[in-house]
Amino acid sequence: MSTETSDVCSLLIVDDSRVSRMMIRAFVLDKHPNWVITEASSGNEALTVVDQKHFDYCTMDINMPGILGTDAAEQILVKHPHLRIAIFSANIQEVLRTRAADLGAQFVAKPVTEKSVNIAISFFKAGRV
Amino acid sequence: MFNLTDLHLDALSEVFNIGAGRAAASLSEIVGEEVKLSVPSVEIRRSEELNVQALQLEQSHFGIVKQQFSGTFSAEASLLFSEESALEIMRDMMGSQMSVEELAEFEQEAMCELGNIILNACLSAMADMLVIQLESSLPTYTVYSADEVIQNIVDLEDQVYILILHINLEIERRQVNGRLIFLFSSGSLSSLRTKIDSFLQNI
Repeated sequence: MSTETSDVCSLLIVDDSRVSRMMIRAFVLDKHPNWVITEASSGNEALTVVDQKHFDYCTMDINMPGILGTDAAEQILVKHPHLRIAIFSANIQEVLRTRAADLGAQFVAKPVTEKSVNIAISFFKAGRV
Repeated sequence: MFNLTDLHLDALSEVFNIGAGRAAASLSEIVGEEVKLSVPSVEIRRSEELNVQALQLEQSHFGIVKQQFSGTFSAEASLLFSEESALEIMRDMMGSQMSVEELAEFEQEAMCELGNIILNACLSAMADMLVIQLESSLPTYTVYSADEVIQNIVDLEDQVYILILHINLEIERRQVNGRLIFLFSSGSLSSLRTKIDSFLQNI
Protein backbone atom coordinates (compact mmCIF):
# COMPACT_ATOMS: atom_id res chain seq x y z
CA MET A 1 0.00 0.00 0.00
CA SER A 2 1.28 3.43 -0.85
CA THR A 3 0.13 5.78 1.85
CA GLU A 4 1.42 9.23 1.01
CA THR A 5 0.29 11.97 3.27
CA SER A 6 -1.10 12.67 6.69
CA ASP A 7 -3.07 15.78 5.67
CA VAL A 8 -6.69 15.54 6.69
CA CYS A 9 -8.87 16.64 3.82
CA SER A 10 -12.56 16.26 3.21
CA LEU A 11 -13.84 14.76 -0.01
CA LEU A 12 -17.36 14.56 -1.35
CA ILE A 13 -17.99 11.68 -3.79
CA VAL A 14 -21.02 12.24 -6.02
CA ASP A 15 -22.16 9.28 -8.14
CA ASP A 16 -25.45 7.47 -8.55
CA SER A 17 -23.60 4.17 -8.83
CA ARG A 18 -22.87 2.68 -5.42
CA VAL A 19 -20.13 0.56 -6.98
CA SER A 20 -18.40 3.64 -8.40
CA ARG A 21 -18.60 5.40 -5.04
CA MET A 22 -17.15 2.34 -3.32
CA MET A 23 -14.28 2.20 -5.81
CA ILE A 24 -13.40 5.89 -5.61
CA ARG A 25 -13.53 5.70 -1.81
CA ALA A 26 -11.28 2.61 -1.73
CA PHE A 27 -8.64 4.06 -4.09
CA VAL A 28 -8.59 7.40 -2.24
CA LEU A 29 -8.36 5.82 1.21
CA ASP A 30 -5.57 3.56 0.01
CA LYS A 31 -3.43 6.66 -0.57
CA HIS A 32 -4.95 8.95 2.02
CA PRO A 33 -6.39 6.85 4.85
CA ASN A 34 -7.24 9.86 7.00
CA TRP A 35 -9.29 11.77 4.46
CA VAL A 36 -12.87 12.25 5.55
CA ILE A 37 -15.22 11.03 2.86
CA THR A 38 -18.89 11.81 2.35
CA GLU A 39 -21.02 10.32 -0.40
CA ALA A 40 -23.98 11.71 -2.33
CA SER A 41 -25.95 9.78 -4.94
CA SER A 42 -27.16 12.70 -7.04
CA GLY A 43 -26.27 16.24 -8.03
CA ASN A 44 -29.25 17.52 -6.08
CA GLU A 45 -28.10 15.75 -2.92
CA ALA A 46 -24.59 17.16 -3.45
CA LEU A 47 -26.00 20.71 -3.59
CA THR A 48 -27.62 20.19 -0.19
CA VAL A 49 -24.60 18.52 1.41
CA VAL A 50 -22.08 21.19 0.36
CA ASP A 51 -24.12 23.81 2.20
CA GLN A 52 -24.08 21.77 5.40
CA LYS A 53 -20.44 20.73 5.60
CA HIS A 54 -17.07 22.00 4.50
CA PHE A 55 -15.36 20.11 1.70
CA ASP A 56 -11.96 20.56 0.13
CA TYR A 57 -12.53 18.30 -2.85
CA CYS A 58 -15.30 16.69 -4.82
CA THR A 59 -15.58 13.94 -7.45
CA MET A 60 -18.65 14.40 -9.60
CA ASP A 61 -20.29 11.93 -12.00
CA ILE A 62 -22.22 13.48 -14.92
CA ASN A 63 -25.12 11.22 -15.83
CA MET A 64 -27.27 10.92 -12.73
CA PRO A 65 -30.97 11.12 -11.97
CA GLY A 66 -31.96 14.78 -11.43
CA ILE A 67 -29.59 17.50 -12.50
CA LEU A 68 -26.48 16.72 -14.52
CA GLY A 69 -23.20 16.55 -12.60
CA THR A 70 -21.73 19.35 -14.72
CA ASP A 71 -24.65 21.62 -13.79
CA ALA A 72 -24.34 20.66 -10.12
CA ALA A 73 -20.60 21.40 -10.27
CA GLU A 74 -21.28 24.81 -11.78
CA GLN A 75 -23.76 25.70 -9.04
CA ILE A 76 -21.47 24.41 -6.29
CA LEU A 77 -18.52 26.43 -7.59
CA VAL A 78 -20.55 29.65 -7.55
CA LYS A 79 -21.14 29.24 -3.81
CA HIS A 80 -17.92 27.43 -2.90
CA PRO A 81 -15.24 28.58 -5.33
CA HIS A 82 -12.44 27.08 -3.19
CA LEU A 83 -13.69 23.54 -3.85
CA ARG A 84 -11.68 21.53 -6.36
CA ILE A 85 -13.89 19.31 -8.46
CA ALA A 86 -12.92 16.33 -10.61
CA ILE A 87 -15.63 15.38 -13.07
CA PHE A 88 -15.70 11.61 -13.66
CA SER A 89 -17.43 10.78 -16.89
CA ALA A 90 -18.21 7.70 -18.97
CA ASN A 91 -19.07 10.12 -21.76
CA ILE A 92 -15.63 10.89 -23.10
CA GLN A 93 -16.56 13.21 -25.95
CA GLU A 94 -14.72 16.48 -26.46
CA VAL A 95 -17.76 18.61 -25.63
CA LEU A 96 -17.79 17.25 -22.05
CA ARG A 97 -14.04 17.72 -21.61
CA THR A 98 -14.42 21.33 -22.74
CA ARG A 99 -17.36 21.87 -20.39
CA ALA A 100 -15.30 20.58 -17.44
CA ALA A 101 -12.35 22.79 -18.39
CA ASP A 102 -14.64 25.84 -18.69
CA LEU A 103 -15.81 25.22 -15.14
CA GLY A 104 -12.23 25.01 -13.91
CA ALA A 105 -12.76 21.35 -13.05
CA GLN A 106 -10.62 18.35 -13.96
CA PHE A 107 -12.12 15.93 -16.50
CA VAL A 108 -11.44 12.29 -15.63
CA ALA A 109 -12.52 9.52 -18.00
CA LYS A 110 -14.27 6.58 -16.39
CA PRO A 111 -13.93 3.69 -15.56
CA VAL A 112 -12.92 4.31 -11.98
CA THR A 113 -9.44 2.82 -11.64
CA GLU A 114 -6.41 3.54 -9.49
CA LYS A 115 -5.03 5.52 -12.43
CA SER A 116 -8.13 7.67 -12.96
CA VAL A 117 -8.49 8.34 -9.23
CA ASN A 118 -4.82 9.38 -9.11
CA ILE A 119 -5.49 11.96 -11.83
CA ALA A 120 -8.20 13.43 -9.62
CA ILE A 121 -6.00 13.37 -6.51
CA SER A 122 -3.13 15.11 -8.33
CA PHE A 123 -5.54 17.80 -9.46
CA PHE A 124 -6.83 18.22 -5.89
CA LYS A 125 -3.34 18.53 -4.46
CA ALA A 126 -2.15 20.92 -7.16
CA GLY A 127 -4.62 23.45 -5.80
CA ARG A 128 -3.26 23.36 -2.26
CA VAL A 129 -0.85 26.02 -1.22
CA MET B 1 -30.46 -18.79 -6.86
CA PHE B 2 -29.06 -16.99 -9.87
CA ASN B 3 -30.70 -13.74 -8.91
CA LEU B 4 -28.50 -10.74 -9.17
CA THR B 5 -28.60 -8.35 -6.22
CA ASP B 6 -29.00 -4.58 -6.56
CA LEU B 7 -25.25 -4.27 -6.14
CA HIS B 8 -24.62 -6.71 -9.02
CA LEU B 9 -27.02 -4.74 -11.21
CA ASP B 10 -25.40 -1.47 -10.10
CA ALA B 11 -22.01 -2.82 -11.17
CA LEU B 12 -23.42 -3.97 -14.52
CA SER B 13 -25.16 -0.66 -15.04
CA GLU B 14 -21.87 1.16 -14.51
CA VAL B 15 -20.14 -1.21 -16.96
CA PHE B 16 -22.77 -0.53 -19.61
CA ASN B 17 -22.64 3.21 -19.07
CA ILE B 18 -18.91 3.14 -19.66
CA GLY B 19 -19.54 1.01 -22.77
CA ALA B 20 -22.20 3.46 -23.94
CA GLY B 21 -19.74 6.33 -23.40
CA ARG B 22 -17.15 4.63 -25.59
CA ALA B 23 -19.74 3.82 -28.26
CA ALA B 24 -21.00 7.41 -28.24
CA ALA B 25 -17.45 8.67 -28.76
CA SER B 26 -17.03 6.36 -31.78
CA LEU B 27 -20.42 7.30 -33.25
CA SER B 28 -19.66 10.95 -32.70
CA GLU B 29 -16.56 10.59 -34.87
CA ILE B 30 -18.71 9.10 -37.65
CA VAL B 31 -21.41 11.80 -37.62
CA GLY B 32 -19.12 14.66 -36.60
CA GLU B 33 -21.40 15.80 -33.79
CA GLU B 34 -22.04 15.10 -30.16
CA VAL B 35 -23.90 11.83 -29.67
CA LYS B 36 -25.77 11.19 -26.46
CA LEU B 37 -26.03 7.56 -25.50
CA SER B 38 -27.15 6.42 -22.08
CA VAL B 39 -28.31 3.24 -20.42
CA PRO B 40 -30.82 4.39 -17.81
CA SER B 41 -31.90 0.97 -16.59
CA VAL B 42 -30.75 -2.63 -16.35
CA GLU B 43 -33.03 -5.48 -15.36
CA ILE B 44 -32.95 -9.24 -15.44
CA ARG B 45 -35.83 -11.61 -16.18
CA ARG B 46 -36.47 -15.24 -16.99
CA SER B 47 -37.40 -15.94 -20.60
CA GLU B 48 -40.86 -17.29 -19.73
CA GLU B 49 -41.73 -13.94 -18.12
CA LEU B 50 -40.99 -12.14 -21.34
CA ASN B 51 -43.71 -10.45 -23.36
CA VAL B 52 -44.22 -7.32 -25.42
CA GLN B 53 -45.13 -5.34 -22.27
CA ALA B 54 -42.03 -6.42 -20.36
CA LEU B 55 -39.82 -5.20 -23.19
CA GLN B 56 -42.03 -2.12 -23.69
CA LEU B 57 -42.02 -2.65 -27.42
CA GLU B 58 -44.43 0.01 -28.62
CA GLN B 59 -43.62 -0.15 -32.32
CA SER B 60 -44.66 -2.97 -34.61
CA HIS B 61 -41.36 -3.73 -36.39
CA PHE B 62 -37.79 -3.73 -35.20
CA GLY B 63 -34.38 -3.74 -36.77
CA ILE B 64 -32.27 -6.14 -34.78
CA VAL B 65 -28.51 -6.52 -34.78
CA LYS B 66 -27.47 -9.80 -33.23
CA GLN B 67 -24.06 -11.03 -32.13
CA GLN B 68 -22.91 -14.11 -30.24
CA PHE B 69 -20.37 -13.64 -27.49
CA SER B 70 -18.24 -16.37 -26.06
CA GLY B 71 -15.33 -16.71 -23.66
CA THR B 72 -15.52 -16.68 -19.87
CA PHE B 73 -19.27 -16.97 -20.44
CA SER B 74 -21.37 -16.92 -23.55
CA ALA B 75 -24.36 -14.81 -24.41
CA GLU B 76 -26.41 -13.78 -27.39
CA ALA B 77 -26.68 -10.01 -27.62
CA SER B 78 -29.40 -8.25 -29.62
CA LEU B 79 -29.69 -4.54 -30.18
CA LEU B 80 -33.22 -3.45 -31.10
CA PHE B 81 -34.36 -0.21 -32.64
CA SER B 82 -37.76 0.42 -34.19
CA GLU B 83 -37.48 0.00 -37.96
CA GLU B 84 -38.21 3.70 -38.57
CA SER B 85 -35.59 4.78 -36.03
CA ALA B 86 -33.09 2.38 -37.53
CA LEU B 87 -33.53 3.97 -40.95
CA GLU B 88 -33.26 7.48 -39.50
CA ILE B 89 -30.08 6.71 -37.58
CA MET B 90 -28.65 5.17 -40.69
CA ARG B 91 -29.47 8.21 -42.79
CA ASP B 92 -27.63 10.34 -40.20
CA MET B 93 -24.65 8.03 -40.29
CA MET B 94 -24.46 7.76 -44.06
CA GLY B 95 -25.17 11.40 -44.85
CA SER B 96 -28.44 12.80 -46.12
CA GLN B 97 -27.53 12.78 -49.83
CA MET B 98 -28.70 9.23 -50.35
CA SER B 99 -31.91 8.27 -52.05
CA VAL B 100 -34.36 5.91 -50.37
CA GLU B 101 -33.31 3.11 -52.74
CA GLU B 102 -29.66 3.59 -51.92
CA LEU B 103 -30.48 3.67 -48.22
CA ALA B 104 -32.33 0.37 -48.46
CA GLU B 105 -29.29 -1.13 -50.10
CA PHE B 106 -27.03 -0.03 -47.26
CA GLU B 107 -29.47 -0.74 -44.43
CA GLN B 108 -28.04 -4.13 -43.56
CA GLU B 109 -24.45 -2.98 -43.60
CA ALA B 110 -24.96 0.29 -41.74
CA MET B 111 -27.09 -1.25 -39.01
CA CYS B 112 -24.57 -4.05 -38.51
CA GLU B 113 -21.88 -1.41 -38.10
CA LEU B 114 -23.97 0.57 -35.60
CA GLY B 115 -24.71 -2.61 -33.66
CA ASN B 116 -21.11 -3.68 -33.84
CA ILE B 117 -19.94 -0.37 -32.35
CA ILE B 118 -22.48 -0.34 -29.52
CA LEU B 119 -22.33 -4.04 -28.65
CA ASN B 120 -18.56 -4.28 -28.74
CA ALA B 121 -18.11 -1.10 -26.71
CA CYS B 122 -20.41 -2.55 -24.03
CA LEU B 123 -18.79 -5.98 -24.09
CA SER B 124 -15.24 -4.61 -24.08
CA ALA B 125 -16.13 -2.40 -21.08
CA MET B 126 -17.44 -5.52 -19.36
CA ALA B 127 -14.35 -7.54 -20.25
CA ASP B 128 -12.01 -4.80 -19.00
CA MET B 129 -13.82 -4.22 -15.73
CA LEU B 130 -14.41 -7.86 -14.85
CA VAL B 131 -10.99 -8.89 -16.22
CA ILE B 132 -12.39 -11.54 -18.54
CA GLN B 133 -12.08 -12.41 -22.21
CA LEU B 134 -14.99 -12.25 -24.61
CA GLU B 135 -14.98 -12.86 -28.34
CA SER B 136 -17.73 -11.87 -30.70
CA SER B 137 -19.16 -13.34 -33.88
CA LEU B 138 -19.97 -11.20 -36.90
CA PRO B 139 -23.16 -9.20 -36.48
CA THR B 140 -26.31 -10.08 -38.40
CA TYR B 141 -29.23 -7.75 -39.09
CA THR B 142 -32.88 -8.78 -39.34
CA VAL B 143 -36.21 -6.99 -39.25
CA TYR B 144 -38.77 -8.66 -36.97
CA SER B 145 -42.24 -7.85 -35.72
CA ALA B 146 -42.59 -7.32 -31.96
CA ASP B 147 -44.21 -10.76 -31.61
CA GLU B 148 -41.39 -12.44 -33.53
CA VAL B 149 -38.86 -10.76 -31.23
CA ILE B 150 -40.56 -12.30 -28.21
CA GLN B 151 -41.25 -15.67 -29.83
CA ASN B 152 -37.62 -16.12 -30.85
CA ILE B 153 -36.56 -15.64 -27.25
CA VAL B 154 -39.28 -17.75 -25.67
CA ASP B 155 -38.54 -20.61 -28.12
CA LEU B 156 -34.94 -20.90 -27.00
CA GLU B 157 -34.34 -23.84 -24.75
CA ASP B 158 -30.99 -23.06 -23.15
CA GLN B 159 -31.00 -19.29 -22.85
CA VAL B 160 -33.25 -18.85 -19.87
CA TYR B 161 -32.13 -15.53 -18.41
CA ILE B 162 -32.49 -12.20 -20.12
CA LEU B 163 -30.63 -9.04 -19.24
CA ILE B 164 -32.57 -6.08 -20.58
CA LEU B 165 -31.05 -2.63 -20.99
CA HIS B 166 -32.99 0.39 -22.10
CA ILE B 167 -30.96 2.61 -24.38
CA ASN B 168 -31.45 6.28 -25.18
CA LEU B 169 -29.60 7.42 -28.25
CA GLU B 170 -29.61 11.04 -29.39
CA ILE B 171 -27.87 11.57 -32.68
CA GLU B 172 -28.09 14.72 -34.82
CA ARG B 173 -30.82 16.06 -32.48
CA ARG B 174 -32.92 12.98 -33.14
CA GLN B 175 -33.87 10.98 -30.09
CA VAL B 176 -34.44 7.25 -30.39
CA ASN B 177 -34.96 4.55 -27.84
CA GLY B 178 -33.62 1.07 -28.20
CA ARG B 179 -33.20 -2.08 -26.20
CA LEU B 180 -30.12 -4.13 -25.67
CA ILE B 181 -30.94 -7.70 -24.74
CA PHE B 182 -28.52 -10.36 -23.57
CA LEU B 183 -29.63 -13.96 -23.42
CA PHE B 184 -27.78 -16.13 -20.92
CA SER B 185 -27.98 -19.78 -20.06
CA SER B 186 -28.18 -20.39 -16.31
CA GLY B 187 -24.55 -21.59 -16.39
CA SER B 188 -23.35 -18.43 -18.14
CA LEU B 189 -25.33 -16.17 -15.81
CA SER B 190 -23.81 -17.99 -12.88
CA SER B 191 -20.30 -17.36 -14.32
CA LEU B 192 -21.14 -13.70 -14.83
CA ARG B 193 -22.34 -13.45 -11.25
CA THR B 194 -19.15 -15.07 -9.96
CA LYS B 195 -17.06 -12.59 -11.94
CA ILE B 196 -19.03 -9.62 -10.59
CA ASP B 197 -18.60 -11.03 -7.06
CA SER B 198 -14.84 -11.22 -7.41
CA PHE B 199 -14.79 -7.73 -8.91
CA LEU B 200 -16.79 -6.40 -5.93
CA GLN B 201 -14.58 -8.25 -3.43
CA ASN B 202 -11.52 -6.58 -4.90
CA ILE B 203 -12.80 -3.07 -4.25
